[in-house]
Amino acid sequence: MPKKESYDKVTGAGHYTGDAVEARIHHARMKISPYAHARILGIDATAARTAPGVRAILTGDDCGVLTGEEIRDRPIIAKDRVRHYGEVVAVAVADTEVQAKQAADLIKVRYDPLPVVLSPTDALRSDAPVLHERLGEYEKGEGVVSVPGTNVASVIHVRLGDMSQGWEQSETVVENAVAFKPSDHAAMETRSAIAEIKPDGRVHIVSSTQAPFAVKQYLGKYFGVDVGFVTVEAPLVGGAYGGKAAIQPELIAFLASRAIGGRPVKVLYTREEDMVTAPGHIGLEATVRLGSTKEGKIKAAHLIYRFDGGAYDDKSSDIARAAAGDCSGPYAIEHMHGECLTIYTNHPYPSAFRGYGHAELTFAVERAIDALAEELQMDPWALRMKNIVVPGDIAPTRDLLTPSNLGDLPACMERMKRLAEWDDWNLVQVDDHRVRAKGISCFWKNSSIDPNASSGAIVSFNPDGSLNLETGVVEIGTGTKTVLAQILAERMRMRTERIHVRFTVDTGISPEHWKTVASRGTFMAGRAVLHAADDAIRQLLSIAACVLRADPDDLELDCEKVFVRADPSVQIDVKEICYGYSFPNGNTIGGQIIGRGTYTQRRMNPMNPETGEGTPGPEWNVGAQAVEVELDTRDCSYRILKAVSVNDAGRVMNRMGALGQIKGAIAMGLSFANRETFLFDAEGRIQNPTLRDYSVFRYGENPAYVVDFVERPCLDGPYGARALGEHGLIGMPAALASALSRAAGVRLNRLPLFPERIWRARMGYADDTVSV
Amino acid sequence: MPMIPYPFDYYQPATVGEAVALFVDLDARGKQPLYFSGGTEIITLGRINEVYTEAVIDVKRIPDCREIGRRSGAFVWGAALTLSEIHDARLFPLLGETGAGVADRTSRNKITLGGNVCGRFIYKEAVLPLLLTDSPLRIAGPGGERTAPIGQLFDRTLRLGRGELLVQAMTDVRYAAFPYVTDKRRKGSAIDYPLLTVAAIRAEEGIRLAFSGVCAFPFRSTEMELILNRREVPAEERIATAIARLPAPILNDIKGSALYREYVLKVTLGETLERLEKGVAIG
Repeated sequence: MPKKESYDKVTGAGHYTGDAVEARIHHARMKISPYAHARILGIDATAARTAPGVRAILTGDDCGVLTGEEIRDRPIIAKDRVRHYGEVVAVAVADTEVQAKQAADLIKVRYDPLPVVLSPTDALRSDAPVLHERLGEYEKGEGVVSVPGTNVASVIHVRLGDMSQGWEQSETVVENAVAFKPSDHAAMETRSAIAEIKPDGRVHIVSSTQAPFAVKQYLGKYFGVDVGFVTVEAPLVGGAYGGKAAIQPELIAFLASRAIGGRPVKVLYTREEDMVTAPGHIGLEATVRLGSTKEGKIKAAHLIYRFDGGAYDDKSSDIARAAAGDCSGPYAIEHMHGECLTIYTNHPYPSAFRGYGHAELTFAVERAIDALAEELQMDPWALRMKNIVVPGDIAPTRDLLTPSNLGDLPACMERMKRLAEWDDWNLVQVDDHRVRAKGISCFWKNSSIDPNASSGAIVSFNPDGSLNLETGVVEIGTGTKTVLAQILAERMRMRTERIHVRFTVDTGISPEHWKTVASRGTFMAGRAVLHAADDAIRQLLSIAACVLRADPDDLELDCEKVFVRADPSVQIDVKEICYGYSFPNGNTIGGQIIGRGTYTQRRMNPMNPETGEGTPGPEWNVGAQAVEVELDTRDCSYRILKAVSVNDAGRVMNRMGALGQIKGAIAMGLSFANRETFLFDAEGRIQNPTLRDYSVFRYGENPAYVVDFVERPCLDGPYGARALGEHGLIGMPAALASALSRAAGVRLNRLPLFPERIWRARMGYADDTVSV
Repeated sequence: MPMIPYPFDYYQPATVGEAVALFVDLDARGKQPLYFSGGTEIITLGRINEVYTEAVIDVKRIPDCREIGRRSGAFVWGAALTLSEIHDARLFPLLGETGAGVADRTSRNKITLGGNVCGRFIYKEAVLPLLLTDSPLRIAGPGGERTAPIGQLFDRTLRLGRGELLVQAMTDVRYAAFPYVTDKRRKGSAIDYPLLTVAAIRAEEGIRLAFSGVCAFPFRSTEMELILNRREVPAEERIATAIARLPAPILNDIKGSALYREYVLKVTLGETLERLEKGVAIG
């Protein structure tokens, strides 16, 4: 079943936010900071204000509202001080895009550079500049524990068992530290938003967002607008990866519109702005200490995660919380202590990134597991098998793991072992300079979202008996709308081609889907669709019962007909009843059938920040992955030959779609691990804020993808389906590092794995140049 | 989305003479004119205000700038030929393949030989084969036309006078028969600026080598060639001596540290010498 949006996309007919061209739309352009940390001494906008077509110049003085989902610490336009390279310091609003840019170029900003904080470790030093002196006063979300007076935005602890017992039972202890800096999502479509404020105060936003309902809610909250007065439209989104769950361009567009009497204003980020002004991918420094018996049974784990939360918190403390919940990786460890910190630095701030903290924690845990295997001289696969979670174990959140809420990791591991030909896992010398090596990883991920997050679906009939399916899921390229149509078709026992979906989400009419994040589209909207289908079926049978003079319980729906189960000759076409039924004399009963359904995850509750206890998500989905590389041991250049991913899909709903999701995620994980990072100079200025210098994986660079699925159903998922959207990425960085470490003969714990970085590790040189 | 935030005039002359006359006129009127070939650099740097002009003179409709073929024992390369066209013509693989290391195919369908050689970026890899073959360049300018071997014209950059236009390069056809190596090493991606590029041919008198990405400019060093051609000395020693005679410090930037570049240069030179001393042509 091809994705329903593909025809529009491949022909260029697909319409994105930035495509809107309308004479009455005005344009906003941002002026951004060239410093990572500086006092703003003054902004001279005299020339800009008088430039042709200019309607307004906005600075931090025009809006005192602080924004942020977990901690309200971020001004929409910097005021008095900038805290990261690329931060917005002014906005020019003009009649045309060119005039807006010319005006922005004319704005002169004077800065006084301040000392910078460029890593979590630096930020924790006692003499580090404190980036948010008012941290204690900021409004915070539930469960956010900050340490005012320091750069610690949030702390969360996860504790199981008794650590002293754990260490006592450990005969071998290893400690391994990993680190990587922030990077970008590099979605194809750069961010864009259009805002208009109508004379009666209604606010209309169009945005490249994956969270239109959150935009509506927060815009209302930040600006005191009744939430019903805000409508947000999300057309097709050209790649999001979590980055477009952050609310930023909408706020700029709103301020710009407000400044010119509510007329519509569009902001379209340049690639550079999309990289450094908009939030990116979180950085991390982590240390994992594992204790195990000689036989490889892990008894104790102390895991310290210091997330690089950048200049503003936004979602980073929530990413840290998600990582905390699954901090042990997919291992049953009796005694463990996880400490998850979110630290302010002068880096661009992060938003969600595909995997939401899990590729990050998995890198830390899996590198430590490999170190333990080395220490124990054990096959790393066998060591993992000895410790991975199975039903009956307890998660770090103290949830009991069951065959439904936990994917089948042993089966994934077995299948991966075969596909990766892991029996030959030792180094192979290809010629004088080249070696081949493999690396493996396994992972789990729970989808921790707000406990009350809901998803809805509306199903309405067309006169020909075909269906319209409306959900709040934004089509970000995952093909979810197609899968939802398949789910509906399956329940309605009709062809998917007869289900029509709409790609634009409009919060004014679409039922709410919390956010199109966390691999929850199929799971939650799928359940809502089933409810809506059942509702529509009930209505169909009820009217058919009347027409066919039969008990509704005796009726069946199939192939767009309703018939008596025991005597199918007594039947009526759906199209005869879906708009009500008209008797031959014109009398009509009923009207258009509209089915509705909503779904909320069961018995969710937030984690206790002191213990980690809670139920932040409904199910742990799992996978096992492997990578094979060929390394030139001289300059340490390498090729990635093969990438294997075996995921428990619960049930594969759309095979090509599922393969596409996994392969795309593998590519993204490898790209992150092998090349993607912001390169900062000593003052924290980003040296590669363009796609010229920020390289992403291209077609042709990809290895052979070997993807397979285990299908152990999740009883809560629609038809047993489990989450898949993020899960091809999570173990890839760890598997690549594992393979390259084996090939290079040295433990590689920093990303990205540039050949120079590997070479430096082999040669014993410092890992501190601007090139890595 | 590339939006150039300033207006500029566009001219499309039909002859070299017209182009130069236009330049002189526009320059006199303070238009800060630029010759415009593939346009990739003007567009991408223009949108971030790193290039400014009020008039561009597109040379792609000038037949001389588009010439490709053989004339009087030489290949003629019009400066407005795209790197893709030169590659696909397969007349001189060293030039075609070295040019094919620049950017990606889509960009190379626009990037021209003249633009690559005369542009602002420091790598200019297409110049390496011209340096190795000391190809004569035909240059037109307000003072008329001149032709001279590139060795006399190129020193870190092509030394053009104000208003001068690179029209053509000419390469003796006999070079097409020489064994060659062109080897581009990148930081880690299949498409990127060079960590370093080494291009080399084995001519009658010995191996010639030209480099990009090693220093902040492309160069050919006869001094290094002399050292590297002393075949009685072990290769490793020759390479170390040659590297000590580089014309400028090794680049140290986001693509690679000087330390790593030096190491990769050693490896690449070792392989280049090994291949050419064996006499095998390798692309």
